[in-house]
Amino acid sequence: MKIIRSILLFSLVLALPGLAHAADSTWVLEQSTLTYHVSHPLHHVEGVSHAARGKGICKAGVCNFLAAVPVKTFQSGDTNRDLHMIEVVRGAEFPMVVVRTELPESDLKGGSIQVNLTVQFAGQTAHYNNVPFKLVPEGKEVRVVGTIPTTVSDFKIKPPELLAMPINNNIPVDVDMTWKEQ
Amino acid sequence: MNAKRVKFYLGIMLLSLSVSFPLWAQNSSGTISGTVTDLSGSPVANARITVSNVFTGQAAATQTDASGRYSVPKLGPGKYEVAAVAEGFPTSKSRVALAAGATQTLNLQLEGTSSSNTNTAQSGGTEPSLSSLGFPTSEVQGNAKEQALLNKRTRMLQIHQKLGMVTVAAMVAALIASGGAKGHHGLPGSPTGRNVHMGLGATTAGLYAATAYFALAAPRVQGVQVRGPIRLHKAMAWIHGPGMIMTAVLGAMAYSQLSKGERVHGIAKYHQTAAIVTTAALATAVFAVTFKF
Repeated sequence: MKIIRSILLFSLVLALPGLAHAADSTWVLEQSTLTYHVSHPLHHVEGVSHAARGKGICKAGVCNFLAAVPVKTFQSGDTNRDLHMIEVVRGAEFPMVVVRTELPESDLKGGSIQVNLTVQFAGQTAHYNNVPFKLVPEGKEVRVVGTIPTTVSDFKIKPPELLAMPINNNIPVDVDMTWKEQ
Repeated sequence: MNAKRVKFYLGIMLLSLSVSFPLWAQNSSGTISGTVTDLSGSPVANARITVSNVFTGQAAATQTDASGRYSVPKLGPGKYEVAAVAEGFPTSKSRVALAAGATQTLNLQLEGTSSSNTNTAQSGGTEPSLSSLGFPTSEVQGNAKEQALLNKRTRMLQIHQKLGMVTVAAMVAALIASGGAKGHHGLPGSPTGRNVHMGLGATTAGLYAATAYFALAAPRVQGVQVRGPIRLHKAMAWIHGPGMIMTAVLGAMAYSQLSKGERVHGIAKYHQTAAIVTTAALATAVFAVTFKF
């Protein structure tokens, strides 16, 4: 009898971490700043958007996050350039940039993590593996900071030119997001 | 008729039936299609549609497109249950009878709106969907027509930009040639000098008109707040536009006076001033939008 009781107790102890994982959660993107960088031998341009929306669902210790931002909300300080950008990236036909990732729930505790991202943009899908991000927990919120190493060729975008010189292939996007657990 | 012959004809009959039945079945197949929307009337994209025959249990599945539309073809006649499942919404079911060869429309409405369903975890989904983020449908859906207009706008403005540069060059050339038209020390220039100057002036006017056309006829993008160098570019048009007309009118007056052997007098004296101001404004307008990409 004592042995059975011990086994039951041991099983309960083993089950506890599992029970802890079962506490599912939902995350919502509270605020964000996304900045793309375009380089040219004669120029450096930044476009900023604060219009991203996102959601994360954690189940059984695995979290799926989705963030999306309308292409037209990026502003570089020049209307003509922004409209040209929308035209070049086919922003009217494919109006959203969508980013998805899956990561262990334990990663949300903070620190430096590496995530695999799937980015849908300009009618194409690109995958970026082991992208470093820094997570800073602030109460029920987590601030996420990092840079997605996007390139023009990843999305089959014809690089715009100035004086017959095309822009640099790298168009990294800085990400600064605050996610809140609901 | 002997037994062998009966068997032969029966065989032919069965063969004919086996060939013709699938053809008949194909012709008699119908389609159930429709649109899935939320309570606000917005289409629900990527909703999973299952169509099950109520009597046979035979089922087919598909997904709604970006406009919330679905279509399930090649269905036999019968009564069907159509179920729509989308993240963040409770399942919606409805029944419909499908006649042979018919196309039946069945629109389904899901309870709630995509924006009001913020907790998709509770509805059983493990991956958040784009529709659950609450973006207005107009922002999420692509518009090929709008894209075509943007492409046309860019093409026309690129021509506008290049023509603008050529116009500035022609106008500078006309300014340089003005020395031959008006002569030196108050004396009239040669007829050849005047003609060269006039020819360059006329070329400038033609190029300017073409440049203006490509700017004015380019498709407009509504609801855009103008920012950056384009404001300076547009402001300059209020100077070089009237300036170009004034330069041409005063130039014609000066040409007429010089052709009569007179000195340039009256308001025609301001032809050169008008030309210099117009050239400066035009060059500023071109410069403002050229050195960017």
